[in-house]
Amino acid sequence: MLPQEQDRFLPIVNVSHIMKKVMPANAKILKYFINFITGEASNKCQREKRKTINGDDLLWVMTTLGFEDYVEPLKGYL
Amino acid sequence: MQVHVYNNNAKMDQNQHVQPAQEAYGENQYQSNPVTTPTVLPTQTSDSSLSSSYPRQHPNDPQLEAMYELRQERLQQQLNNFWAKQCQEIQEATDLRTHSLPLARIKKIMKSDEDVKLVSAEAPVVFAKACEMFIMELTLRAWANVEEDQRKIIKKHDIASSISRADVFDFLIDTVPRPLENILDQQGFVGLPTSTVPTPLNDACYHNPPPQALVPGNPYGSPRIAVGMPILDQNHPGLQIHHFLTPMEPTPTPTPNPQNPSPSSDC
Repeated sequence: MLPQEQDRFLPIVNVSHIMKKVMPANAKILKYFINFITGEASNKCQREKRKTINGDDLLWVMTTLGFEDYVEPLKGYL
Repeated sequence: MQVHVYNNNAKMDQNQHVQPAQEAYGENQYQSNPVTTPTVLPTQTSDSSLSSSYPRQHPNDPQLEAMYELRQERLQQQLNNFWAKQCQEIQEATDLRTHSLPLARIKKIMKSDEDVKLVSAEAPVVFAKACEMFIMELTLRAWANVEEDQRKIIKKHDIASSISRADVFDFLIDTVPRPLENILDQQGFVGLPTSTVPTPLNDACYHNPPPQALVPGNPYGSPRIAVGMPILDQNHPGLQIHHFLTPMEPTPTPTPNPQNPSPSSDC
């Protein structure tokens, strides 16, 4: 990238500093998201008398809890 | 005891504030908090996640109604494009082993639940991508809120606002509490005299008990009052209102016994 072209953008350090102000909230939210889905998947496994949570359980729970939009893209990971 | 009802659908002035009732609140010293009607939420749309987006505060204004529907359509279109793009990216992806979030940390968070015994190898992989899409969706919704306010930077309250506007994020409402202004605005307290607005104290509003008549035997009043646990008002989850005061028996003051002197006193 040419020096003149780089001068037209804001410094990446400043941008990341602004983004980090929002990040603690996001990190906390993600933990609750994982716990929320995992808890329901765990209940499903207990009902079906299984001990291991697998990917299909997570996708089923996501569909049940209103995250059905996530399921179609995630099927490619199974 | 009179209780004034402030309705959200009351006539709005030029500053879009609710006009207070004719009789000023607070004339009676022991008057309870005003009761408000819940805000009018939009009708159910095809997308369940957008059913509570952009609560309509002025349903009679056709211009604001049109703006509301336009914003909702734009957000819906952006989300549809986002999910279509996600499906396309995964179909075209060649390396599915590289993840933007650490799998070990995800597995650790999953195992923090005591009920979870075993986790398959594919579960953290699915969660890594799910969390990535979750962040992107939340950011997209927050960005819609930023554009609505004609700003350029996403702040914490934008994320909190996007959480409160979508039904699927209801499990996060306690995690990212909304600002007090949003709660009061939604319950119709904005624009009222400050004496009518309940002041939250540790997320609860307590009514002061009436002053007790002093009794010569008990300088603190009789009967003494102990404040119980706050009761959650189901109609207004943002404000917890304490309704009950539990009377207690006055504790008798011990009289000093001259026949049994204390061991510390010098004989």
